[in-house]
Amino acid sequence: MRRHDVVVVGAGLAGQRAALAAIEAGRDVAVVSKIHPLRSHSGAAQGGINASLGADDSVDKHTYDTVKGSDYLGDQDAIEFFCKEAGPTVIEMEHFGTIFSRAPDGSLARRAFGGAGFPRTIYAADRTGLALLQGLWERLGTARFTLYDEWDLTHLVVRDERVHGIVAFDRKTGEFDEIAAKSVVIATGPFGRVYGRTTNAHSCTGDGVAAAYEAGAFLKDMEFVQFHPTALLESGILITEGARGEGGILRNARGERFMSRYAPNVLELASRDVVSRAIYTEVAEGRGFSGPYGGYVHLELMHLGKEKVESRLQEIVDYSRIFAGIDPVTQPIPIFPAQHYMMGGISTNLRGEATLRGLFAAGEAACVSIHGANRLGGNSLLETLVFGKQAGIAAAAYAETAPAPAMKESDLDTAVAPLRAWSDRKDGEDPTVLRTEMQQVMDRYVGIYRDEATLLEGLKHLRAIKSRFSQIRVVDQSKVYNVNLTDALETGHMLDLAETIIVGAVARHESRGAHSRTDYPKRDDAQWMRHTLARKGPDGPTLSYSPVAYTRWDPKERVY
Amino acid sequence: MAGTTVSATFEVYRFDPKKDASPRYQRHTLELAPHTTVLTALLRIRGEIDPSLALRYSCRSSICGSCAMQVNSKSRLACETQIGPELERHGRIVLEPMRNQAVLRDLVVDQAPFWHHYAKIEPHLILDPRRPMPAGKENPMSPEEVERFKETPRCIACAACFSACPAVEADPGFPGPMALAKLYRYVVDPRDAAHQDRLLAIQPGGLWTCLRCHLCTEACPKDIRPSERIRDLKEMAIRVQGATELGSRHAVGFKANLRDRGLLNEMKLVRQTSGLFGMLGQLGQGIRVARKKPEILSRPRRIEGLDEVERIYAALDTDGGDAK
Repeated sequence: MRRHDVVVVGAGLAGQRAALAAIEAGRDVAVVSKIHPLRSHSGAAQGGINASLGADDSVDKHTYDTVKGSDYLGDQDAIEFFCKEAGPTVIEMEHFGTIFSRAPDGSLARRAFGGAGFPRTIYAADRTGLALLQGLWERLGTARFTLYDEWDLTHLVVRDERVHGIVAFDRKTGEFDEIAAKSVVIATGPFGRVYGRTTNAHSCTGDGVAAAYEAGAFLKDMEFVQFHPTALLESGILITEGARGEGGILRNARGERFMSRYAPNVLELASRDVVSRAIYTEVAEGRGFSGPYGGYVHLELMHLGKEKVESRLQEIVDYSRIFAGIDPVTQPIPIFPAQHYMMGGISTNLRGEATLRGLFAAGEAACVSIHGANRLGGNSLLETLVFGKQAGIAAAAYAETAPAPAMKESDLDTAVAPLRAWSDRKDGEDPTVLRTEMQQVMDRYVGIYRDEATLLEGLKHLRAIKSRFSQIRVVDQSKVYNVNLTDALETGHMLDLAETIIVGAVARHESRGAHSRTDYPKRDDAQWMRHTLARKGPDGPTLSYSPVAYTRWDPKERVY
Repeated sequence: MAGTTVSATFEVYRFDPKKDASPRYQRHTLELAPHTTVLTALLRIRGEIDPSLALRYSCRSSICGSCAMQVNSKSRLACETQIGPELERHGRIVLEPMRNQAVLRDLVVDQAPFWHHYAKIEPHLILDPRRPMPAGKENPMSPEEVERFKETPRCIACAACFSACPAVEADPGFPGPMALAKLYRYVVDPRDAAHQDRLLAIQPGGLWTCLRCHLCTEACPKDIRPSERIRDLKEMAIRVQGATELGSRHAVGFKANLRDRGLLNEMKLVRQTSGLFGMLGQLGQGIRVARKKPEILSRPRRIEGLDEVERIYAALDTDGGDAK
């Protein structure tokens, strides 16, 4: 058994920032990550990070845009704190060594992003996540901590509503071990791979969120799933909102700049839920293009000129060329929405505290909530750093006074037994078969537009897959780098989380932000301005609700 | 995009050092569209044929750096390598783990040496205590200063360059292209106060081990051009320290020779590189060479058209050495 004061699970931006804060507070910190920290999905974030640093901008304006973007489901006290921290957070990352793009006067360059009243998004070309991830990792390299590199989390050990540590295994050797800790910070990122058509990396399987749910933590607002408007057709690879921020436009098959019908004031720079629904509607009503990978519309960058496209959207040029065979300097990019971001996650307050003692969460794995029903572009990178730091501070403070964790030797056996059963079975389905079926169900039944009958049909299919999961078989018997075992673990995690998404979506009888019910097309503030809380029950998630914190901004109709 | 498929044969390296006496190649033939990536093909092999195949992968869009491997003997990212061109050139697709790193299993290698060299160049800002960060605001940095980083901020640490580098193979103490490109990134950073120390620290046994073969630049999926940045570091190191290392003295002597006569004076070059004592150590080899090539003992005459050589040098001196 290993022991640390604070164990951070996940080593993207949120996990690393939490670790740094806990180390600076003087705690013995371990970072557990199933992939090397520099390979985290934070590095795939393209467009930028919001901070109201411009002379014409303000914390209040950023707060208002975020509240409005959330369709009034974000907690306004948390959003005010978040936007106030934005400037210092970006400056700190600059001081850590992050290489940002610069304006001619040497200040941090800013670009326009959707749902924002001002060019507020600070960027590093179109690889802002990579720049921040390098900057933070290289800063963290000067601190003392233990890195468990390529370790998979299997279990969060909780007794008496308190966390005592985790069980994990080293992919490189196959050895399982207990890591006792006074505080555990979950920063394992999203679970976008519950969908097939997603911009998310293969690693985005929500392991920490599922482990927290299994251990009895509350998950919040799981039904709110963001679909990014512009993803490549076959692969679902992201084309940054920065492409529209730099002036890119959307056209349907008739050559119409159709966003004028959906967001007459800001056109392509409306909020992501609005643009995704617009594209979906254009295609559904026959005004899109069609091809072997389904319907689509065009994202045009040609008019921006070769120099601008190649310098500010360098990665996008490469992605389009390699993954779609398109040169965006001279050709339109065929795009269609894809799952992109999970607004929901482990329910926390703005200090990162979850509902179990000693459990903390930050980043996309958590739900504070600042994004409410729809996240604005440029706010997720900011969230990882602002709330990663808060969770690290809170986890360190808790560890300072908490009694020693009471981990038992039998905790290891309890955690490992089901995994052994998969490997010992002589017959059974491969986990990847069930994963693919789950993804097909989510793509088909839990998409941009929803209604009760479709959602219930999806839930029925998902539960059938879940029941088969108990009989899967892991064929690979090797202890070293057994990806087959990881597949099984991840698939089990995602099946639980997918269920909470659907159950939450069925229950919410309104349309708000990214949750669009054709049978309840209006937002219903009287009934539904509240957060969904899901807790694991004997027959799936049990739901309860909590009020939205609001301070200064009364709900208004959301028009862009 | 979609449409016709091709019959693609893969030969995949399989080896579990804990169980197998030696590696074997597993052959699979699949019907796939020519633009299918190697990673997509591997995931199909895992999903449909053999779930026990071990590999690293994550983003599938050439940004996480997980899936570097040898595709037909070239170090590449599996996720951005399409099978069509590989089949046209080689008729089949041989997939092997990266080189210069021990195989853990199948296509997965132990990256500890790679991470070790990266950490060893101290990849973080080192500040001058007399010049702290500006409180509450960013350090100004002009777009021209950002340009000086060249493409190095795009590095995704995939280690394809480390795998391709013959100097790493010959000398495991050599930091490798990625670490040196990272060093360059910190040396040119206007916020960093340790430029000179960094250059001094990397000279002995580091910088000059590079063979200038440019295989790293060929392997890099992000066009970082590590070999060009290593060249820049060598120039900066000579400027800071003068030519004190074997490698740097050789480079400086080579340049002076050519400028002077238009030809190499090999006797002089050996003396310039190794010094008089060093020259004695190479006496045996010198005699062997002189028997076959007695002209090396005489001072070369100036070549015709030396003014042309001078013009090239003048041009190189003024544009900062970027012309080749």
